[in-house]
Amino acid sequence: MKHLSRLAFSDRRVFMLLVLTSVLIGATIIGQSYFFVAIVDRIFLGEGRFQDILPLLAGLLLVLAGRTLFTWLNGRTGIKLASKAKLYFRQSIIDKYARNPVQASLQGQSGRKVSVLMDSVDEIDGYFSSYIPQMIQTMIIPLMILVVVFTQHLYSGLIMIITAPFIPLFMAIIGVMTKKKSEEQMEKLNTFSGKFLDTLQGLTTLKLFGRSKQQKEEIESSSLGFRDATMEVLKVAFVSSLMLEFISMLSIGLIALEIAIRLVVYESVSFFTAFFILILAPEFYLTLKDFGSAFHTGRGATGASNLLAEELEKEEQHIQWGSGKLEGKQPPEIKLDQMSFHYEEGFAMEELTATIHSYNQVAIVGKSGAGKSTLLHLLAGLTKPSSGTIKVNDRSLFDYEEKEWFSQVSYISQHPYLFSGTIAENIAIGGRGNHSKEEIQEAAEKAGIAELIASLEKGYDTPVGEAGRGLSGGEKQRLALARTFLKKPSVILFDEPTTGLDLKTERVLQASMEKLAKTATIITVAHRLHTIKKADQILLLDRGYLIGKGTHEELLETVKEYRDMVTVQQGGNSA
Amino acid sequence: MKELKEVIRLVVLEKRDIVLSIVFGFLAGMSAVGLFGASGYLISRAALIPPLYALTVLIAFLKLFGFARALGRYAERYFSHRATFTILSNLRLAFYKKLEPHAPRIFQKYRSGDLLSRIVGDVESLQNFFLRVYYPPVVLVIIFLGTVVFASIFSISIAIVLLLGLVVTGLLIPAWYTVKQRKLASRVREARGELSTEAAEWLYGFRDLKIYQQLEDKKEMLHQSSDDYIRESERDSRQMLSSHSWNTFATLLVSWIVTGLGAFLVAEGDLNGLFLAMLVMISLTVFENAAPMAVLPSHLDDSKRASKRLFSIVEEENRGTETYNLDGKLAPSMQVCDVSYRFPDEEREALTGVTLSIPAGSKTAIVGASGSGKSTLLQLFMKFQIPSMGELMVNGKNITEISEESIWENSNVVLQENHYFYGNIRENLQLAGEDLSDEEMKLVLEEVGLEFDLDQPVFEKGENLSGGERQRLSIARAFLKGKRLWLLDEPTSSVDALTERMIFNHLYERASQDTVVLISHRLSGLEKMDQIIVMAEGEVAEAGSYDELMQKQGHFYEMKQIEKNIFST
Repeated sequence: MKHLSRLAFSDRRVFMLLVLTSVLIGATIIGQSYFFVAIVDRIFLGEGRFQDILPLLAGLLLVLAGRTLFTWLNGRTGIKLASKAKLYFRQSIIDKYARNPVQASLQGQSGRKVSVLMDSVDEIDGYFSSYIPQMIQTMIIPLMILVVVFTQHLYSGLIMIITAPFIPLFMAIIGVMTKKKSEEQMEKLNTFSGKFLDTLQGLTTLKLFGRSKQQKEEIESSSLGFRDATMEVLKVAFVSSLMLEFISMLSIGLIALEIAIRLVVYESVSFFTAFFILILAPEFYLTLKDFGSAFHTGRGATGASNLLAEELEKEEQHIQWGSGKLEGKQPPEIKLDQMSFHYEEGFAMEELTATIHSYNQVAIVGKSGAGKSTLLHLLAGLTKPSSGTIKVNDRSLFDYEEKEWFSQVSYISQHPYLFSGTIAENIAIGGRGNHSKEEIQEAAEKAGIAELIASLEKGYDTPVGEAGRGLSGGEKQRLALARTFLKKPSVILFDEPTTGLDLKTERVLQASMEKLAKTATIITVAHRLHTIKKADQILLLDRGYLIGKGTHEELLETVKEYRDMVTVQQGGNSA
Repeated sequence: MKELKEVIRLVVLEKRDIVLSIVFGFLAGMSAVGLFGASGYLISRAALIPPLYALTVLIAFLKLFGFARALGRYAERYFSHRATFTILSNLRLAFYKKLEPHAPRIFQKYRSGDLLSRIVGDVESLQNFFLRVYYPPVVLVIIFLGTVVFASIFSISIAIVLLLGLVVTGLLIPAWYTVKQRKLASRVREARGELSTEAAEWLYGFRDLKIYQQLEDKKEMLHQSSDDYIRESERDSRQMLSSHSWNTFATLLVSWIVTGLGAFLVAEGDLNGLFLAMLVMISLTVFENAAPMAVLPSHLDDSKRASKRLFSIVEEENRGTETYNLDGKLAPSMQVCDVSYRFPDEEREALTGVTLSIPAGSKTAIVGASGSGKSTLLQLFMKFQIPSMGELMVNGKNITEISEESIWENSNVVLQENHYFYGNIRENLQLAGEDLSDEEMKLVLEEVGLEFDLDQPVFEKGENLSGGERQRLSIARAFLKGKRLWLLDEPTSSVDALTERMIFNHLYERASQDTVVLISHRLSGLEKMDQIIVMAEGEVAEAGSYDELMQKQGHFYEMKQIEKNIFST
């Protein structure tokens, strides 16, 4: 919340505009009341002619137009303020996400992040467009009215001063009372409201067991339960506005009574004063009540605002790249020197030391949770080691220019991501800028997907939206390979798929890797025995520790865990 | 309005609450008019110094109006919200009744995962229809008519001005903005949709973008769409504001005319000056009730869209006549002749020219890569889908002539995703039959290797169970159902090999005389099957017994070699 108010008042010009328009609204409210009263007074008691009040009518029209105009201006300023705030938050969040490389390894959180970027930012709109302007109005307009009333009639002013604090007071009391009650109801509400979705999701199962008809009563009873629980919460809110209504009503009644008695019994006030005050009093309480509803809108933004602040304040792992150039024609030599990595959730990788020579084929092996993917991310330069270094050609990886490094690297994941666009665009994204159609086709050819593309009506221009809907896992895998063939990198990081690939893709993968190995170093998180067997070096991981390093034969000889793993695998499948 | 016909039908079911909302809304609105009118009159009266008792009566009236207004508003809110939530319940029920007959088919047809939450969201957004669209204009019109009639006692021309004011603020301005709103709202939605797609793509594809050095470019695009969306929604808010402002100005203008006209009439001697203040106050107050009209256009638009979308989901093609029921006593046979199938929103066929035969009482395994069409084939067997081309015969009859309910009733199905309901193990098993004994249930639990207590709680969607436990619970459910056709889609993909073998042993015992179709993710343990069908790219690549296929050294053999090669970590 503090975050938001600081932002709201940061622009002095906007703030002054809000104050100015509020003052003008206050003035037009008073002016409007004055003219109405003056006209009635002149005609009713003064028994003036119609011509006499024409200037007053003109003045009234002007004031009414002014009130509309200033209210509009005030509202527009609020809307602009809201747009500016949303723009600021959305940009900051996007920039924040872009800077944080850990993001890359935490794919699971993407859904939540989209919702922060979309919904949370939208939710703060009300705070700026209605709460802030209304708050400023509430600070100014009642005060102006009060001053005018005091100049007209002291006692009415006093009644207003005494009764006004009851409105925020009651609001606060009721707020506290409702909070507990609505929290009690919240749990009930969640169960009830989830029931409909739950039933819909289970409909297939229900139908297969012939039970779908019976669910109607369940839906009805839970919907009605939802209604009753909601009404409990709402009733309290309604009672709260009922009380506010009573307070303002009673106060206005009190003022009216007091004026009437003075008017009739003591004859100490004029009709003009009395009517004037009577018209101003409701405006006074109305502004206070309006603040009540705006306050709720403001409160509604609290959750979203906290979420945004939390997201922005999260510690980030910014990677600082240098400006070094990668020299030499052959793939770089990569060294891991006492590299450790810790992540908040307790996962740790301890003191890894290894050397990967040019054109080496390295297999990373280990149980799930051993840290295989994390190691791949570290090697890619997507994540920064907590201590120790990754050396590329004997210089720290992060001494190089970011672009220089990534232009040498390809990363083929188990589930390659396809962007919305055509197939050609999706292949070209792997490359370095402008590629001719022929180059793209050649890459597709090498990746064994050209035939499939040719069979499609639109060929290379076929759109593949939403993460490649309509393509099978194997086809996506081959498309990712085409990207790599186009890029011709010198380091390839490959997260080998476990199961579910079609034969064609299996064959293509194996052949492609052999081809690519001629020009690049390949580091694979390996699941296939043949990949492991032909590796120049195997890195065996266990819960973040490197427990074995060497070729297949060497590890079979020396590392018991490796021997066990291979035996279990062969035993498990031949059964 | 034809999109909303069904919704209106459901709304008017709640007659009592609707009438009460309108009555109390009217009461509250009229009391406010009365309150301010009376106070205007009171002051004028007081200025002329009448007897004190007349004043007392008036002040009493004033209080009465005050309380009536506050209480009326409370009651109006109470009843209108209660009606709203009852209507929500009716909507859910009505929609469920409509959806239920088409259930699994529709879910398979729209393969998008958010269909269900969209349905729930649409149903929910329709609850605003009554609260924000249906009854506020009714209340507004009644209050105005009451006020106009009252005003006409004093001056016909002022009454006419008020009536014109109603037409402008209650009808013309909202109608004008409804038209403008429609265009703008769709642009806001578009901009939002675009931003949300791009944001999702940017975050999900983050790693790839980073490595391809496209992150910065895409970030700029994201900023751009964010700007677009904010600009569009700002335009939308400004339009709302200007609608609101014009409405306010119109109401103020009406009060101005009433004041001027009233003053003129008094000056001319056509109206008693005593009533001038009252009429001015009334005209200022009565338009308070027109405020909800400002938000009506956007809610009307939302309701129409939601309703259209909801009811178009369940509009269904004619599915032919279902004259036969599947005989549950016999193990069925199935013939698939040159069957092709394509999902409605996809370009490529999921199945192409599939021909195979499943004799009664035989055991068939279907294997193949993901995306090869295995599950689609099973969906055809279950009549979730009808082949686009070719024929699927069950017991010699075309499946289109067999009622789908009888197929479901007489088969034991385990899908990849099965549903579990909030409750306990017993309730979830009893889905297979109300009168199952505890002993029977305990026996099947044992057979699938689950050591569960029958009273053990099951959370929503079985969230407190592991993937393997959930699968085994589904198999237990299928065991309990005990029909003669088994359709199993990777039922043990999350179960360890040892338990899997035990479960299959029990399965073959129970199904020794039954027809079994099993989609298998593993190639091991298929030696005993009568036939294995190998699917690849929507076609049957090979079929035969385990030994035949191994001898042939074709597709299956090669898959087998790869499987041997893979470490399952």
